[in-house]
Amino acid sequence: MKTRGPGRPLLAIFVAAIFFLPLYVALANVFKRGDLITKEPAALPIPPTLDNIVAVLTRPDRLYWVSLTNSVVVTGLSIVLLTVLSAMLGHYLARSRSRWVQAVTLLLLCGLMIPPQAILMPVVRVMEATGVMTTLQGLILFNVGYYIPFGVFVFTGFIRSVPVELEESAALDGANRFQIFWRIVFPLLRPATASVLIFLGVWIWNDFLNPLVILGPGQGTTVTTGIYRSIGQYQADFGSVFALMFLATLPVLVFFLALQKQFVKGLTGGASKG
Amino acid sequence: MAVDRAPRRVGARVGHFAGFAGPGLTVYAGFVLVPILISAGYSLTNYNPFNPPTRYVGLANYRLLFTDEAFLTSLRVTTILTVIVVVTPNVAGLAIAVLLDRRGWLYNALRSVFFVPMVLSSVVVSIVWTRLLDNEGPINQALRAVGVDRPPGWLSDPDYALYSLGAILSWQLLGFCVVVYLAGLQGIPVELLEAAEMDGAGPGRRFWHVSWPLLAPALTINTVVLMISAFKVFDHVQVITRGGPGEGTTATIAFVVLRTAFEENRGGIASAQAVVMLTIIAAASAVALKLLRRREVEL
Amino acid sequence: MRKMIALVGATVLALSGCSVKDDAPDGGGGARQITFLTFETPNLTPQYWDAAIKRVTDQHPDIAVKRIVSPTQDRTAYAKQLLQSGQFPDVLIAVSPAGFAEAGELYAWSDKELENFLFPGNGAVNGKIYQLPANTQTIPVTYYNKDLFASAGIGAPPTTYQELLDAAAKLKAKNITPLVTGGVHDSVGPLVAGIWATDVYAKNPEWMKQRRAGTVKFCDPDPRKALGKVADLAAKGYVDRTSVARDYAAAQQAFLDGKGAMYAMGNWLAGALDGADKPKFAVGQFTWPGDADNRTVPAFTGGGLLVSAKSKNIEAARKFALAFQLDKTNLDNSAVADGLFPAIKGYAPPAGVGPAYRAGYDLYAKALAAKTVVPAFNFEAGGDAPLPGVGAKIDASVVDLITGKKTMEQVCAFLDSEWAKG
Repeated sequence: MKTRGPGRPLLAIFVAAIFFLPLYVALANVFKRGDLITKEPAALPIPPTLDNIVAVLTRPDRLYWVSLTNSVVVTGLSIVLLTVLSAMLGHYLARSRSRWVQAVTLLLLCGLMIPPQAILMPVVRVMEATGVMTTLQGLILFNVGYYIPFGVFVFTGFIRSVPVELEESAALDGANRFQIFWRIVFPLLRPATASVLIFLGVWIWNDFLNPLVILGPGQGTTVTTGIYRSIGQYQADFGSVFALMFLATLPVLVFFLALQKQFVKGLTGGASKG
Repeated sequence: MAVDRAPRRVGARVGHFAGFAGPGLTVYAGFVLVPILISAGYSLTNYNPFNPPTRYVGLANYRLLFTDEAFLTSLRVTTILTVIVVVTPNVAGLAIAVLLDRRGWLYNALRSVFFVPMVLSSVVVSIVWTRLLDNEGPINQALRAVGVDRPPGWLSDPDYALYSLGAILSWQLLGFCVVVYLAGLQGIPVELLEAAEMDGAGPGRRFWHVSWPLLAPALTINTVVLMISAFKVFDHVQVITRGGPGEGTTATIAFVVLRTAFEENRGGIASAQAVVMLTIIAAASAVALKLLRRREVEL
Repeated sequence: MRKMIALVGATVLALSGCSVKDDAPDGGGGARQITFLTFETPNLTPQYWDAAIKRVTDQHPDIAVKRIVSPTQDRTAYAKQLLQSGQFPDVLIAVSPAGFAEAGELYAWSDKELENFLFPGNGAVNGKIYQLPANTQTIPVTYYNKDLFASAGIGAPPTTYQELLDAAAKLKAKNITPLVTGGVHDSVGPLVAGIWATDVYAKNPEWMKQRRAGTVKFCDPDPRKALGKVADLAAKGYVDRTSVARDYAAAQQAFLDGKGAMYAMGNWLAGALDGADKPKFAVGQFTWPGDADNRTVPAFTGGGLLVSAKSKNIEAARKFALAFQLDKTNLDNSAVADGLFPAIKGYAPPAGVGPAYRAGYDLYAKALAAKTVVPAFNFEAGGDAPLPGVGAKIDASVVDLITGKKTMEQVCAFLDSEWAKG
């Protein structure tokens, strides 16, 4: 387009480098010997060491592995359920001509801005009453209930762009509602499904407060809550803290780097449509 | 086109609702709507698990909030934090988006660099920044190296702590704004910009008269998302400062609600605080959304 | 796409069946399982706890113990959160019964069960004992770095408050931080307890009981003066304002690294001073001095285990708690690792305790003989302690005094108003 001078790339790299410094420090300290971390936090990790990582991976109480499994189970189940339920609910809201659609949509939209802390205490009571407190199922159900507005929001927008005629002609051919939805509509919603899976996957994986309270101490932790628990113990052993954080973030980081394009598309679908 | 099937239609409609909307709405109702109602209910009582029995007290809890120093402080803290978090990543995000608005693998990679903090958990971000801002941490060490005698206690000085928190949150949310603004910029038709250039407009005027108005939807999204995020801030407070240093310096509304509920065990008051919090968020979001949307339409 | 979702969904559902829990001793074969809330510090490592628990379960194989750990040192706050979320543990340690006892959550020990304790009435709430009064801790002992003292030209530890201020001035003149502290209860609380002991409790050991009765207030002259001393120390720079950002372990490490001369801390520090990582410099101890002299020693007897009244296996929980508390090896280890003076009948500290432990024990024994032992402010338990919510406010207010955000008048008024909230 315009001048191709070196100014812009250099400036961009410089700004990005400054922005990235905190992450560099975190990364460097993962591979640095424990005692050097406090003395020279910003220095390059020379000599590099894998001791910190090994220490975390081989802890006798298997903290990392236990919480990793829990995180995978909770996140996986939550996003699958969320995709299915919010797609169907979104489809209903987009297609139904019932009077209640507006009211229900408004009700769901309110859910988008509710902070989880505001309802945590009553949610605990509800869970006690239904017997799912301290269980993974309870946490998963709460995740589903809490994030469904987001899923509905994403799906409804997309479904409106699917021509109703497709569904009507399938109905004429004798298909029932479920078949129409799953065979014809859902495959066309791939970008929306990707957005929902990605964003909710990251948010649920990184969730800290809800597993802490709902799962409690006895059920094992998720990987993010595990980090929070470990900072108390590892006071003088920052190498382990950083290594644990690194290992806990790795899955989500890999996920993000592999699916960058979808992340961006999912976000910006709204920016240009408005 | 549809054949009149009146009697079956009602049944089919109910079936449609039950099958498609039922499961989602049930979970939502059970774990979000019902708790909100319960919260509202508790807020009218003196519920305290350590001090049964629970009595109805009407609006006494709400009246108490007007004079409760801790709650009012949390409102002030949250407001200051919201202003910082809505303005800083917005402005910086726009600037960086303009900087990165070019094609090429380099710019795509840099965009990812800015977005990475959004993917990190609040706990990780909090721990990393607590180390960095420690009085003996790398930032202060660097400041001392360049001759600053007594670098501030970023997290230990009550005058700085809140602003440090705002900076940390801005750092984490910056990437979101960058991505949204970039998408907005890249959606601007090239012809408009070229026409302006041919009319003799320099880069500054091109931006102000062509790009900026067309970025209105991006501004709306960023502002609303940042605002809601700021209202919800809890994790960072819990991990970095636990509301301190001292009494209430960085205690946001969300933090006070949880502390009142789970540590002070004053369930009735905590519920009242939660209801007030929800009302404020709803009102603020509605107002902001309306103003910004109207601007979008006008532009 | 649909097939993939179905496949993923099925896999995840199958996995959720085998949801992973912490490594827990199998509660099979008739063993009753109880949960035990602990907290970890540099003294109290996971290994310490696990070994102590094992010693008891080896002798009582019908009890299986699941140890849960508080995420931060504030185990009282965590216990409250667990209570709120319906996960209150069966057994707890070193948590004040205040609040929990009144709500009926704790089991009240019988006189028979308390027969082995030296002070069976300590920490009572409404006349009943909920926390085993297992050990005595002197809070604070003022530890000092002998090398730094010598380099500042200070000959002997101070015996009056004015001498302490003079010593601090000399240290500051040599760019040595006079007093080391942190921002959390266990770090800064002992310092306040020392000042409170000489200025309030020495004249009136019943002050806290009177405060509960409402006949005295924080804004009375003596308490206000005590609060003023804290603010004054910070204003003079004898307490570093920025140290409030430190947590417990960081503050301890700062002293052990020689970054400050004096450290007012509970006598559990002896565990670190006699342990494997003992500091390279010589450490002395003195009692925090009052304006007139330094005979007042604040101490607290309690710190033992508590049992949930609503435990599903309450028999097992009680048996475990008593056995854990009275096991001789556990007591010996607690003395060596955590510097505790067990308050059990017929118990004498083991031969293996180090010099720091002995010095602290001597200070305490002297005060006991001279009858100058007073309560340790904000470290008491049960009905002897501040009201349940106020304790945390005291800690936060002390931080405000140190950073200068509030004056002593503002703090005393604040504490009185918080107390009134009940």
